[in-house]
Amino acid sequence: MSRDSVLRIENLGHSYGKFKVIEDISLTIGKGEMSALIGPNGAGKTTFYNAISGKFPPTKGKVFLNGEDITGLPSHRVVDKGMCRSFQITNIFTELTVAENVFSPLIIQQNKHFKLYGNVFNDQQITEKAMDTLEQVGLGGRTDQVVANLAYGDKRLVEMAIVLARDPSVVLLDEPTAGMNPEETENMINLIKKLAKNSGTTFFITEHDMKVVFSLAEKIYVLHQGHLLAQGSPEEIRANEQVQEAYLGRKVHA
Amino acid sequence: MMTQNNHNLLGPALLTILLLLAPLVIPVYWVMLLSEILIMGLMAVSLNLLLGYTGLLSFGQGAFFGLGAYTAALMLQAGYENLFLILLAGMLVALLAALVVGFFSVRLDEIFFAMITLGFGMMFFSIAHNWLDVTGGSDGLPVFNLPSLNLFGFQLTFYTPINMYYLVFVVVLIAISLLWLIVHSPFGLILKSMRENKQRVSFIGGNVKTLRIAAFAISGAFTGLAGVLFCLFNNMATPEFMHWSFSSKPIIMSIIGGTGVFLGPLFGAGIFFILEQIIIQYTENWMLFLGIILIPIVLFFPQGVFGTLRNKFFKQGSK
Repeated sequence: MSRDSVLRIENLGHSYGKFKVIEDISLTIGKGEMSALIGPNGAGKTTFYNAISGKFPPTKGKVFLNGEDITGLPSHRVVDKGMCRSFQITNIFTELTVAENVFSPLIIQQNKHFKLYGNVFNDQQITEKAMDTLEQVGLGGRTDQVVANLAYGDKRLVEMAIVLARDPSVVLLDEPTAGMNPEETENMINLIKKLAKNSGTTFFITEHDMKVVFSLAEKIYVLHQGHLLAQGSPEEIRANEQVQEAYLGRKVHA
Repeated sequence: MMTQNNHNLLGPALLTILLLLAPLVIPVYWVMLLSEILIMGLMAVSLNLLLGYTGLLSFGQGAFFGLGAYTAALMLQAGYENLFLILLAGMLVALLAALVVGFFSVRLDEIFFAMITLGFGMMFFSIAHNWLDVTGGSDGLPVFNLPSLNLFGFQLTFYTPINMYYLVFVVVLIAISLLWLIVHSPFGLILKSMRENKQRVSFIGGNVKTLRIAAFAISGAFTGLAGVLFCLFNNMATPEFMHWSFSSKPIIMSIIGGTGVFLGPLFGAGIFFILEQIIIQYTENWMLFLGIILIPIVLFFPQGVFGTLRNKFFKQGSK
């Protein structure tokens, strides 16, 4: 194992009864790498994400984060170990303010979630870090707004801030531009690029929008019917006949 | 820059002064009623830590109220007369019971959570109802001696309604202040986060189960404290406290007052008892009229009477 690998997955599989949703997936992601997992609908992308992020334990295989075996840990432990994720359907605290949304992960990170007194707004360790995070994603000016009143694209940014707040070493983004208009998509791509460049965080995204994938990823993994069909640089993947077949069979424009 | 919602303390301060002075101007009967409102108000505010803040509807709070009451009654019968000891013991017993009930209940949500807490509550009810030797069965446990308090050389007793009222007032004031601190603490924000989205809490590193057990135990402890007070006020602990219909009272009060405002349930308790007093003068079927009143409240005051009025007259941000 190279010292620089941050996420290593060995022979991962998950099945419901006899039905194998994903099977025998092995991959190694280097520190700071920007990778993407693609595949037609139903290929098993979300199952793969759920199995490695602790939503449920995989039925087969191992997951290593920074060299440590995290296979089957519950989600909150996976986050403690340094991997945080977003969801395809925005997963935020709707009736709280933008600031409060980012306070929550910081409270837990700083082990203050059982602190029964004191106001978070007076806790500099938390407010400063929250402000930093919100400025990173461009929400610095809207901290007091209740999230429910924000536009869809901004809600996605709130989720991004929640995910980034604890400085995870690996960030999993499940279709970060799903449902966005072209302008919002463009912003999100630029944001992810900027974050990857500035923070050295390792991003691992799933996307069905090929334009997004090819403008972001350094390395692409293709999932097809639960198997890893191919992996390589964007150029290699573009040229790969098997991949074209898998996609053309489903009439998706690359 | 980040600012918090201004916690307007003017209202609570005014309310405190009013409650402090009320016994000087209102008849004794209403002083006793006010004691009952404060005790049930504490129970409702404690319940609302679960209902309004954590998003859990517990139908078993009567069990913890009853445990507090029985603890007090048993200690008084056994000759313990230290007020603080009795208050703390009642809270502790309720806390421990809530830890156990919480452990088994919090993995469930919504109606399933409500039903399992109701089930546990009825278990405690059956024990209190049937364990004659300890609980006195359906007759309950009477209390003849009230604890006294030695305050700077003065021996304070609580046999008069006015003295009892001030005991209730001080204990409820302290308890509600503590709950206010908790609601506005980091823990309180995590509770609201769980109400909004428990999956997200677990995906930012929070152990939802442990956090919910903590909320359940705290709520249970303060409910137990209310039970101790009620036992002293009522000179009696009875199994009815643990019945599910008693558990529904703080829920109704919270919904009347508003679950989204910290003091909403306390106002709900006030409205509940005052309505009862008014209606009961005309008819014995006060529950029928409670139902008739509850329906428009739910329809026209979606955030409770207090919550809706407050939002109407003082445009405020989120809770």
